[in-house]
Amino acid sequence: MSVKAPTKSPFTPEQETTLAGWTKRYPHSNLGLVEALRSVQGWHRQITPEAAARVAEVFDLPFNRVWGVATFFPTFTQWKTGRHRVGLCHGLSCWLAGSTKMESCLEKTLGVAEKTTTADGKFSWETMECLGACEQAPALQVNDRLVGAATEASVVKLKDLK
Amino acid sequence: MTLVLTKHFAEPKLHELETYRRLGGYKALEKALGLPRAAILEEVKTSNLRGLGGAGFPTGMKWSTVPPEDKVPGPRYVVVNCDESEPGCYKDRVLVERDPHQLIEGLLIASYVIGSKDSFIFIRGEYQTQYEILEKALDEARKAGLVGKDILGKGFDCDILLMRGAGAYISGLDTALLETMEGKKAWPRQPPPFPTVAGLMAKPTVVNNVETLSMLPHIVENGGEWFAKLGVPKSGGTLLLSISGHVEKPGVYEFPMGVKLRDALAAAGGVRAGHKLKGVIPGGTSMPPLMEKDLDIALDFDSVRAAGTFLGAGGMIVLDETADAVEVAHNIERFLAHESCGQCTPCREGSFWTEEILERVLHGDGVPADLENLPRVGENITGRVICALGDTVGMVIRGYMTRYPDDFKKRISNGQKG
Repeated sequence: MSVKAPTKSPFTPEQETTLAGWTKRYPHSNLGLVEALRSVQGWHRQITPEAAARVAEVFDLPFNRVWGVATFFPTFTQWKTGRHRVGLCHGLSCWLAGSTKMESCLEKTLGVAEKTTTADGKFSWETMECLGACEQAPALQVNDRLVGAATEASVVKLKDLK
Repeated sequence: MTLVLTKHFAEPKLHELETYRRLGGYKALEKALGLPRAAILEEVKTSNLRGLGGAGFPTGMKWSTVPPEDKVPGPRYVVVNCDESEPGCYKDRVLVERDPHQLIEGLLIASYVIGSKDSFIFIRGEYQTQYEILEKALDEARKAGLVGKDILGKGFDCDILLMRGAGAYISGLDTALLETMEGKKAWPRQPPPFPTVAGLMAKPTVVNNVETLSMLPHIVENGGEWFAKLGVPKSGGTLLLSISGHVEKPGVYEFPMGVKLRDALAAAGGVRAGHKLKGVIPGGTSMPPLMEKDLDIALDFDSVRAAGTFLGAGGMIVLDETADAVEVAHNIERFLAHESCGQCTPCREGSFWTEEILERVLHGDGVPADLENLPRVGENITGRVICALGDTVGMVIRGYMTRYPDDFKKRISNGQKG
């Protein structure tokens, strides 16, 4: 697959500045690529081929190189996550502490299946591999923050997020 | 008992430079910068410090394989591996959270010995809070002349750059970590060359774990011999265990290297009340469990290995009698199948089929041939792949089937569902 960068950038001027910043942050521009894609995921809540093509242009890399990275790492999605992206750890310690029950709780409370976004775009949830918080099992990640020792009540409380 | 890394953990605001310095922080760096690099390397060798990220490779020996500047001129790098992602492992997170300057000081000492002017801390993307703690600590250190040009007026320049991963477990493997840093898929490299010869951007690179580097200020301050004596003959110092699962008080605990499994369990309050021990995963879920009969073994790299498993990164998960071995093995193999990077066919396919077969067994549809096929699939991966992830697929399934054969047999013969 090869995609050309769209004539009109999919990024705002400020976002373009941030991307250019990532090319200069480290001793070689390529070292900023994963960080740049993290920024894109944050802005668009997904990485589209068009966005990847523009990133490729900024980094002076072939599209396939960037798309390969964008489709390899679990942080990057090719579906639009909710404004609040909720992750449920199902690593062994969290599983021992009842993460399976939390899965049904998330599905019921947020009203959508895993990796699906609510109609208002507010929430999506997904299981995640070990979040590195095994002493606080079961662990949730809400956007980029950890919510440890999660219960049904902590899931219900998510609804209060703006 | 001597505590090394967690000695000051009770101190409020330990993560702030002022507190860290008040407790003697950065004195070891000052001492190190006044010593010849070779002398520090010798101390590290004497200390018997071994890599605490899982491999247990002697740190001094790793450093010695970096070619000298007169043979290979140009930049060289030190990279901190703060990408622990194996279920059960969270000690590096706690070290960064509580005492970021201890890590920065250790990294600067390593950078001085190796000759790195640009060093990196690669941290898993999920640790955003810890990333911000490091960012702040580095800012403080820069302002205080501890990071950057002419550190402490001793003529040594070293900058420290932060970089985040993007959710792949395999990025925690040194060569896959370097690929991630270079903006590529996290596909492990086939050594040789090893990273110390050709690592980041093909330059000599030392990749060390957070805990390993955090030990350095203490080795420089108290000497290699002091450190060696804290541990066992071939592995010096102390060991952090991150304990979780069916225990009363999960958390990170520091022990002398070679602590008895029984004592480590006791420190975490033992198996949860009213339950019986079924097994203890010693080092993260890739490692087969130790059993009740192993309670008196010493937890150090070589003793755990002699008991048929690995100390790994000290991610200890305790299982009581409520844990079913088929379900536990399924959870771990699912993880490995998800995290297999797909580069080597035996691992990509083998981890997938191991999970599929276990799934069938879990749903009560297992057939007797599964008992033979499960270990056979694993054996066909081992030794035929680039990195250790593939090897652990077979090690895990074999580990649980040999230790808990009844859990597997009863599911298959009775068609028992979960």
